[in-house]
Amino acid sequence: MRRLLVVAALACLGIMLLYTIGRMPPMNSGSTPDKTHVVPRYLEHGEEEGGAPNIITSVILNYRGYDTMGEVTVIFSALCAVVALLDREKRGRSRSAADISKVKSSVIVRTVVRIAVPVIILFAVYTILHGETSPGGGFQGGAIVGASIILFTLAFGLPESTDRMPLGARIPMESSAMLAFLAMGFLGLAFGVEFLTYALPGIHGQATETIRMLMLMVVEIGIGVAGGIIFISIVFAMIREDRYELQPDIP
Amino acid sequence: MNLAARQPVLLVAVPLVFAATCPLWGMWKRRICFYWALGGMSVTAFLAWSLIGKVSQKAPLTYNVSGWRPPWGIQIRIDTVGLLLACTITAMSILLLLYSYRYVEKEIPTQRIVYYYTLLLLIFTAMLGCSVTGDLFNFFVFMEIFSITSYALVAISGERRAIRAALKYLLMGATSSLTVLLAISFLYSVTGSLNMVDIGQVLERMGRTSSPYLPVAAAAMIFFIAGFCVKAAVFPVHVWLPEAHSIAPSPVSALLSALVIKMGVLGIIRTLFTVYGRGFSSFSEVWGALATVLSWAAALSIPVAAIMAIMQTDLKVMIAYSSVVHVGYIVLGISVLSVQGFAGGLFNIVAHAMGKGCFFLVAGIIIYKHGFRRIDDLKGLGRSMPVTAGAFAIASLSIVGLPPSAGFIAKWNILYGCLQQSQYIQVVLALFGSMLSAVYCFKVVYYMFFTGSNVGAKMDEGPMTMLIPVTLLAAGTVFFGIFSALLMPTLSNAARVLLAR
Repeated sequence: MRRLLVVAALACLGIMLLYTIGRMPPMNSGSTPDKTHVVPRYLEHGEEEGGAPNIITSVILNYRGYDTMGEVTVIFSALCAVVALLDREKRGRSRSAADISKVKSSVIVRTVVRIAVPVIILFAVYTILHGETSPGGGFQGGAIVGASIILFTLAFGLPESTDRMPLGARIPMESSAMLAFLAMGFLGLAFGVEFLTYALPGIHGQATETIRMLMLMVVEIGIGVAGGIIFISIVFAMIREDRYELQPDIP
Repeated sequence: MNLAARQPVLLVAVPLVFAATCPLWGMWKRRICFYWALGGMSVTAFLAWSLIGKVSQKAPLTYNVSGWRPPWGIQIRIDTVGLLLACTITAMSILLLLYSYRYVEKEIPTQRIVYYYTLLLLIFTAMLGCSVTGDLFNFFVFMEIFSITSYALVAISGERRAIRAALKYLLMGATSSLTVLLAISFLYSVTGSLNMVDIGQVLERMGRTSSPYLPVAAAAMIFFIAGFCVKAAVFPVHVWLPEAHSIAPSPVSALLSALVIKMGVLGIIRTLFTVYGRGFSSFSEVWGALATVLSWAAALSIPVAAIMAIMQTDLKVMIAYSSVVHVGYIVLGISVLSVQGFAGGLFNIVAHAMGKGCFFLVAGIIIYKHGFRRIDDLKGLGRSMPVTAGAFAIASLSIVGLPPSAGFIAKWNILYGCLQQSQYIQVVLALFGSMLSAVYCFKVVYYMFFTGSNVGAKMDEGPMTMLIPVTLLAAGTVFFGIFSALLMPTLSNAARVLLAR
């Protein structure tokens, strides 16, 4: 009976979704509402107004920068949730986890990882810094940094990995994306322009472009650093989950 | 620098600064986090409360973030409804933080306290962001923040059943978030805009030209309402609420019941009236059907949830079911489409926040002092904890809806609104539910004051930092009951503007 109800409900949902999707504007047409209302301005003026030749960067950091500030806060919230629930290890390195995450990887794996990781991180830096002109940006670069450290952890184990991490700086780095956005926002407010405008008044000509680029860069780097470190922190906390014991219920 | 004109964005940016820096203080001294959070929310409360009188539903206060005009950029748009919620959130936040000071030391593992305060600051920021935004996607972003933080806050005590409840909440909450996101993408595909007011105008235009894409917009409306109903815990999809709200630490329960579910209600208001309101004529069938379904679901939920509440033996589960009852009242008021009912619904957001906040905080004090959760254990508690039990008794007047409390004014207006629309069956269901509410509330009051003592008659009250919020909330329910004229005319005006088409 219960199963029947679930199937019926899912069938209803499926029919509704199919019906709706069938009526949606065609994907391959250039004259549909989603391509004629706000998008033309982004495409035509995105580079000069938004400050980045990569229109996507223009949109996510400038036109809708406030949303992106919210998105980095979502990631930060996820981190806080994981860390609060899984109890991050004591700050500083802890050897006690060594017995849990004892990794037996072969010499080949270790050597390859040792060579690959610096190169991957270099590529991540490139992705972060070049996000304005080519596909990429803080989020992508941060994910690559995170992936490289996770790769290292898989090959060498957690203690090896935490030894190489600047654990003291970890907490400020986790907030860095939000702080970068807020700093740029309040900088604008302090100089009398709107929140997150990426411009300072009283500066003209070439300098405007330079200042805007610098401010966008600060935000990109903030996102990259925070993104990477948050991925790493979440994975580290989850590796230690084995140690995590549920507290007994209060009767 | 003209800060006054930038106040709308500061309302979100300032608490976010405090949230982002809270873990940094935790590195140094854990205790500072509490003062940091309290200070941050006090500044924010000042920012929110100083806006009172400066906004109206017709002429909302707007702010274009990054200086882009809508629909290209994101606009913050504070109308009466948004300001009402913002003021409620900031006021409650201070009381809840004050209450948490002693509570968390006992009930939450020490190493989690830093992140407890960080999560609280994040959830307050996110709810403020939702309240003041004029952008649909921005609403979703902040909704994600308060959802994620509330799952974590439910589970933060680390008890096994808390984690189970949080998981259930997470699954339902994530599904509803996705439903809303799906609806936003449907709507974007046919309007090309994310600004609520602008979408309304585009929909109106689409209706005039009888665009072929109208069914997609109508389907999006259904998905919106379905998604927000889960967040608001409207009757058939309320199943996550009793478990999550009762097992969470008490200040978190109060936060979730008083504020977080109201964000779902806000979503319903924004969808039905700001986004789809202008294009009403093009959707009148689907729109009307949805409003009817909502009002029936809400009206049914009132007696059903009240019966469930009566059947409970655990105090906090009982209070949690009572929240379902009150969401029923709020949604009934909104969906019955009369000015008076709508204003009553909005008023009940505040009345319920105070009453239910007080209930959960009282339950928290009892757990803090004695570890009692069962209603039977409360016998004679009125003698040893007169302030706590007295606050509960006063708040229960508001929850039941007796004069001179705020709950009475709210229910009176909601029922009057139903009568104006000739919804007699809804009125009967709601009145029946009110009587049942009296049963479960006064049962507890009776146990506390009129039965033999379980714990002895010696005065043994909770700490001051916990008693002050409880007393203030109980006093608030009476204050707003007597001086309802402070709020009701403004809310009626807002309702008139929202319902006008």
